[in-house]
Amino acid sequence: MSEKIAEILNAIVEGEEEDAAKLVQDALNEGLPPLEILNQGVVAGISKTGELWKENKYFLPDVIFAADAFKAAMVPLEPKLKEGGDGRPASKYVIGVVEGDMHDLGKSLVIALLQSAGFEVIDLGIDVHKDTFIDAVKDHKPAILGLGAYMSTTMLEMKTIIDELEKKGLREDLKIMVGGVPTSQEFCEEVGADAWGKDAMVTMERALELVGG
Amino acid sequence: MANPTFQMIHGMLYGNGIRFGQLSGLGRIIAAMSGRYPDHVPFQGPQMHDHAMTIARVPARKFYWEADVLVDVHLAVARWYGFDSNTITFDVYNLEVEALGAKMIYSDNAMPTVDVSDPLIKSPADLEKYGPLDPSRGRIPYGIEVAKQFTEKAPGPFAGGLFCSPWSLLCQAMGYPPAVRAMKRDKGYMQALFDWAENQAIWPYMAALREQGIKNAMGADAWAAFPNLTPDLVDEWIIPSSIRMRQRGKKELGMTVSAGAVAGDYCEEDPAKFDKQIMFDCWDVVAKTFPLKLAASAMGRTQDWDMNWLYEFATRSGKKIPIMGALNGRFVRDSSPEQIIDIIREWIDIMGRDGRFLMMIGNIPADSPPVNIHTAVEATQILGRYPIADDLSSIEVQPPGFEPFDEWLEGQPEEETILKAREWKSLDRKVFV
Repeated sequence: MSEKIAEILNAIVEGEEEDAAKLVQDALNEGLPPLEILNQGVVAGISKTGELWKENKYFLPDVIFAADAFKAAMVPLEPKLKEGGDGRPASKYVIGVVEGDMHDLGKSLVIALLQSAGFEVIDLGIDVHKDTFIDAVKDHKPAILGLGAYMSTTMLEMKTIIDELEKKGLREDLKIMVGGVPTSQEFCEEVGADAWGKDAMVTMERALELVGG
Repeated sequence: MANPTFQMIHGMLYGNGIRFGQLSGLGRIIAAMSGRYPDHVPFQGPQMHDHAMTIARVPARKFYWEADVLVDVHLAVARWYGFDSNTITFDVYNLEVEALGAKMIYSDNAMPTVDVSDPLIKSPADLEKYGPLDPSRGRIPYGIEVAKQFTEKAPGPFAGGLFCSPWSLLCQAMGYPPAVRAMKRDKGYMQALFDWAENQAIWPYMAALREQGIKNAMGADAWAAFPNLTPDLVDEWIIPSSIRMRQRGKKELGMTVSAGAVAGDYCEEDPAKFDKQIMFDCWDVVAKTFPLKLAASAMGRTQDWDMNWLYEFATRSGKKIPIMGALNGRFVRDSSPEQIIDIIREWIDIMGRDGRFLMMIGNIPADSPPVNIHTAVEATQILGRYPIADDLSSIEVQPPGFEPFDEWLEGQPEEETILKAREWKSLDRKVFV
């Protein structure tokens, strides 16, 4: 790993967003391959952050800063990655927080990690009406639909959405993931979803499994 | 013995060995907190607002706007379950920011929620725009009326006002990520934010509560639970703020203002990450914001904790401080009655044998099966009877039969309020802010 890429990795882990963006731009200017910067610097940085989180060395504020740095690093990198794409379409992942629920922190982290894993993420936002999810599945034909909820009162909406997708014949080729604080593996099975995203890292891992990545 | 003062004195005497008469719920809790052994382990009334609303089948538009509906539903549901105290709550994190002009989302079926996509405080300049809070705006009058009715209908040490503590209020006003960025990276701005939250947002509400005769108020602070904030950050920001507000409340209003409740509550979700030292640090900060010395769990994934750690924490000075063992709300919702009985058996065995132990549920989710809550109370009363049986595994506990809520409600003092609330139609909808 080059010194520059090691610095990018470190800036992500330390949550230094300005440094992360500048270092990525410098690396691109120096001619380092965008994919190498992504995998060995930016994604490795967010993965290292996830490990520190799992080891109780990082806490939620640290993860927020690392996610900020990740987003900042992706700004100069994303256009270069698109220019040099391998032509293979990325798997689409439609994600949103169900109606009546306004919590988006968890979703932001999930999106960051899904993007790092190569998914094309369509973010429907928070407080998303059932019909918006249905329309998005029709329009984008994603490989995976991710439903999030933070409250026990709003999580029940997930079953309504899944039932509606089944009624409309949209469920067969679609994998569905559920996630958020009040959800559980039992709840995932109860509502008929395909996988439970226990946290952002697990969501990324399960999503890759679902698309055979 | 309906007088709460007598009930508390009875509890103190009973807990210290002078045993006579039948303990009230309040007396039982006081016996466990201030003495040692009540007749059995008490079951503290848990936070349950959206569950109580669901059980009573009243619309959110009445429940979260009309104090008599909220209070009567809580009192009725708590009595139906047989809790030893009442905890009457609502969407406590919303009232101040709503009254200051935050965008809200209202629903017929769920509690109001702040629209965090368009936060109230986006930059330091916004602090000049909002405040001081006008206590006649939004649902502040509802919060005041809830406190009054709670104090009138269920007097005692647990009755009083509720507010959103400064840190959680800032998370509601600006979103958690910007708030935590300011806390870690711009201490001057963070201090200005705390000053605004304490003085411009919360204080006028406290003064209005006091004007209506309310003498104590508890400030919820779930955004300061772990791992949202580390124990270090709670020590640096939350505890000093809590002390400032307590001292000011005492000096200026003659009122007990307890900010920072459940700050430091250990809410790590992954059992693989449970860490004894971090738990101890968290329980230390929790103890600092409680008026009484207490080893408390609240919303955490307690079904997977090693409760020997909590017991060790409570007894480390040689004299046991009371332990509040809270069952996780989702565990109560998702488990079988038998699993609930098993964990209560284990907890009483570890933490209850030498007294000073109370059971609770962290927060009952809306869709929890009532049989699970009835079972938790029944199991606590049977297995927690003092002296605790040597072999708790030999005591059989069955999920209890119980009268359906609507049948039980007939003839109860809250019946009329609840039935009338059910008549609400969406056309009656009001716009408040």
